[in-house]
Amino acid sequence: METTLIKVNQVSKKFSKDLKRSLYYGLVDVFSGVIGRNGSGALRKDEFWAVRDVSFEVKRGECLGLIGHNGAGKSTLLKMLNGLIVPDEGRIEMHGKIGALIELGAGFNPILTGRENIYNNAAVIGFSKKEVDAKLDSIIEFAELREFIDMPVQNYSSGMKVRLGFAVAAQMEPDILIIDEVLAVGDLGFRVKCINRINELMKKTAVIFVSHAMTQVSAICNRIILMDKGSVQFNGTDIGKGIEHYLLKFDHSDNQIIGNGSVVLKDVQLISAGGAATNAAVIDWGEQLTVKLALQVDSKIKHVKLRLGVFNTEYRLLAEVDSEQTGKTYSNNHGVIAVSVDIGSLNLRQGRYAIHLHVIDADTKEKYLRQTDVAHFVVNAPLSVGADFLLPSNWR
Amino acid sequence: METRIYESSKKYSLIRIIGASFNGFKNSRFLARQLATRDLRAQYRQSFLGFFWAFAPILINAAVWIVLRGTGTVQLAETPISYPLYVVVGTTLWTIFTECLSAPILAVNGNKSIITKINFDKEALITLSIIKVSVNSLIKFSLVIALLLYYSPAISSSLLFFVPLFLLSVLFFLSIGVLLTPIGVLYQDIGRAIPMTMQVLMYVTPVVYMMPESGWMRTIMTYNPLTYIVTDIRNTLTGLPVEHWSVHIGIGVTGLLLALLALVVYRISVPIITERMSS
Repeated sequence: METTLIKVNQVSKKFSKDLKRSLYYGLVDVFSGVIGRNGSGALRKDEFWAVRDVSFEVKRGECLGLIGHNGAGKSTLLKMLNGLIVPDEGRIEMHGKIGALIELGAGFNPILTGRENIYNNAAVIGFSKKEVDAKLDSIIEFAELREFIDMPVQNYSSGMKVRLGFAVAAQMEPDILIIDEVLAVGDLGFRVKCINRINELMKKTAVIFVSHAMTQVSAICNRIILMDKGSVQFNGTDIGKGIEHYLLKFDHSDNQIIGNGSVVLKDVQLISAGGAATNAAVIDWGEQLTVKLALQVDSKIKHVKLRLGVFNTEYRLLAEVDSEQTGKTYSNNHGVIAVSVDIGSLNLRQGRYAIHLHVIDADTKEKYLRQTDVAHFVVNAPLSVGADFLLPSNWR
Repeated sequence: METRIYESSKKYSLIRIIGASFNGFKNSRFLARQLATRDLRAQYRQSFLGFFWAFAPILINAAVWIVLRGTGTVQLAETPISYPLYVVVGTTLWTIFTECLSAPILAVNGNKSIITKINFDKEALITLSIIKVSVNSLIKFSLVIALLLYYSPAISSSLLFFVPLFLLSVLFFLSIGVLLTPIGVLYQDIGRAIPMTMQVLMYVTPVVYMMPESGWMRTIMTYNPLTYIVTDIRNTLTGLPVEHWSVHIGIGVTGLLLALLALVVYRISVPIITERMSS
């Protein structure tokens, strides 16, 4: 039985929305802190719970994935775990040496050389002079920067800076590791090196991993906490389930419409193989998805053709379908056009996708409408892969 | 295995906080030295005139007053030692005191990016202020030493008291500086008010001129304890006797108490101000 290294018990933290008031409350808190008076704990004017009633435990060798959308309270929770700010309610116990991969290269001064900045960064993250002296060579080796180590850091590329920062951080030997989205850095070769080093560290530590990259989360974590508006929405070991909850939470109301108003999208329905008609479907990998669209069309328009694009959460266009594939054009039926399209075998990897719509005149090729995020769907894949597609395959 | 517990309880024991604070100083010596080396190196590497800027304000201020007095623009009482020496020593002390007040706020503000991201012993920033003030003071005193050699005033045993008296007043001002840090980081008003206040105070303290023989300025200066601090420290350098021991003891005791209070306030307030800092 491994020991529990992180115990978080009903932790809450409040923040103020208003800067002036926040500063004033800060002053009040400093004062009441010094005279040792306990506040009532209730929310004051303009305050809200940034983190509310969060509890969990992490043992050595376990990895907890902390996911949630921007503003869900992840960073605030992380700051409390890291001891930077104090919870307003509840209790956090951390057993052992804490290593945080939150900010790489903290304490760097751009004027100074790489070598000098190794000492600055290492001192900031808690190394002694003797340790740095002993590890200096392996740090420079790891960063692959021997040639440029005596050059001012301001002349480094951003990738080089990150490499130097990670090389210093990689020397830590913590019991608890806090990682906040630092993996997506540097070039591919270095990224592999980072991930290997982190994997090595993770075997011996209790890890808290914050990321928006669901592939990494599902590859690394064995428990997930999904936060929303400060409170825990999902806490469990079913990683797929947690990620699905997260992906469905996306609510992109910021869809952009480019067009002259002659074509307006009135309704969208997604129908998965299961048959449920919603505007946010969950489909299993490789299955068919039916999209039904209702368009309101200006009387001057005779025939149109359509194209749908599938975008991932990083706004990359992954796949498209076009009505021209089957030579189909849609005619104006008293100002209304109804479209139904079956999209076959969606071999996309696990994730959430958005559909973009284009409506084009079949004769003049004039673009009437380009609308983003008309609908979303989530693909449930049988296994997690790094590429965008998991192709059907037959192994003999 | 080391265990850290973070919880909301505001009940604490003074002894434990002060103990933790001292531990913080002990554990962060390397960090503080490293930060100081970083800042000083960067400061002087990116400058052509380098050390000159440490005593430029003293030279300018002294020059202004020497010219004002020399041209008869202002009538000042005769100083017991030659006027340039008088004004340079006074201004040097005064700029050091001012620096003591602002250094902790500057140290915290200048390291916001690591305070909001990394858990380290924040006492390192106080040590950082002390190191910076010391280095800058040493540079500033080189000018004083040069003048002392040039004018070679009588040297007496009171010179022995220079270091202890100087350190007592530095402790006093640094403690106030640390005590002001939480408010000064929350509200920028403090940072702006310090140099202005010190400039006003300078004119009611015998820094660039003697205490007048009579009048209301004399009354103010008599009630101003800084009068005796500046005068006596200057006296130790110029072979004149130290006259106001009670004031020095008072400043020393107040400084010590303020220092302990400042350490407690600083330690308690760091997480609260971190919360309100942008990285």
